[in-house]
Amino acid sequence: MKRFYLIGFTLLLAFDTLNLLCFKAAGAHALPLEMSTAWLARVFSHPWVYGAIAGYIGAFVTWMSLLKHAPIGPAFAASHLEVVTAMALSWWVFAEPVTTTQVVGALVIVTGIVCLAFAEGSGEAAKNHLAPHEV
Amino acid sequence: MHGLALALWIAYVLLDTGGQLAFKAAAGDERAGDGLARWRYMLARPWIWVGIACYVAVFVDWIAFLSLVPLSEGVLLAAINIVAIMVAGRILFRERLTPLRVTGILLVAAGVAIVGVGS
Repeated sequence: MKRFYLIGFTLLLAFDTLNLLCFKAAGAHALPLEMSTAWLARVFSHPWVYGAIAGYIGAFVTWMSLLKHAPIGPAFAASHLEVVTAMALSWWVFAEPVTTTQVVGALVIVTGIVCLAFAEGSGEAAKNHLAPHEV
Repeated sequence: MHGLALALWIAYVLLDTGGQLAFKAAAGDERAGDGLARWRYMLARPWIWVGIACYVAVFVDWIAFLSLVPLSEGVLLAAINIVAIMVAGRILFRERLTPLRVTGILLVAAGVAIVGVGS
């Protein structure tokens, strides 16, 4: 199960990252931004937008596979690692500024996900669902 | 926050939480089997479509909300949804919430809120 989660969340993160990069590129190639068919034509004339769509579909299939076993509460929280990777990529690839507060927030997110990983690993949450007498 | 923004905000929390719960209801159905058969089973039943509909509605709601409220405040919503989905999972799917799990989920929510404030 631990391996299942590790592979699943890594895949989810990879698709989300693909999405982010493709969206950025699709948007940059379609400039100037306007609400027009010309702009839409520019967006769809580049391969980037299809990468973004593929990223969406991949992320969705991965998420639905994860949810087969993963409880929604912890899994939804863990999926926010995407916020951290998006920030790191914006800074690293697109040279966008990152504030100290954002770095602190990212570290708090990572700490939370480490707690969730330990919760899975320690076996304390081995039974995901409450027994009838525990409600 | 005036009336319309508040309405969009409440709709966002309800739709996002509802959508994720619908996805869990579809994905967690043990009668679905595995592989392609599982997808056929899920796509032939309403839950996954309820989830997708909520997802599309959330997207529209989010764009409308951000036209009224700055993004940094908008991101705070995401933090609230994390907690809402945790509570809903406990109530509807009777998911076990251990102290370590609750700590982890609350830390992620706090971190997302801090990132939002710092944007």
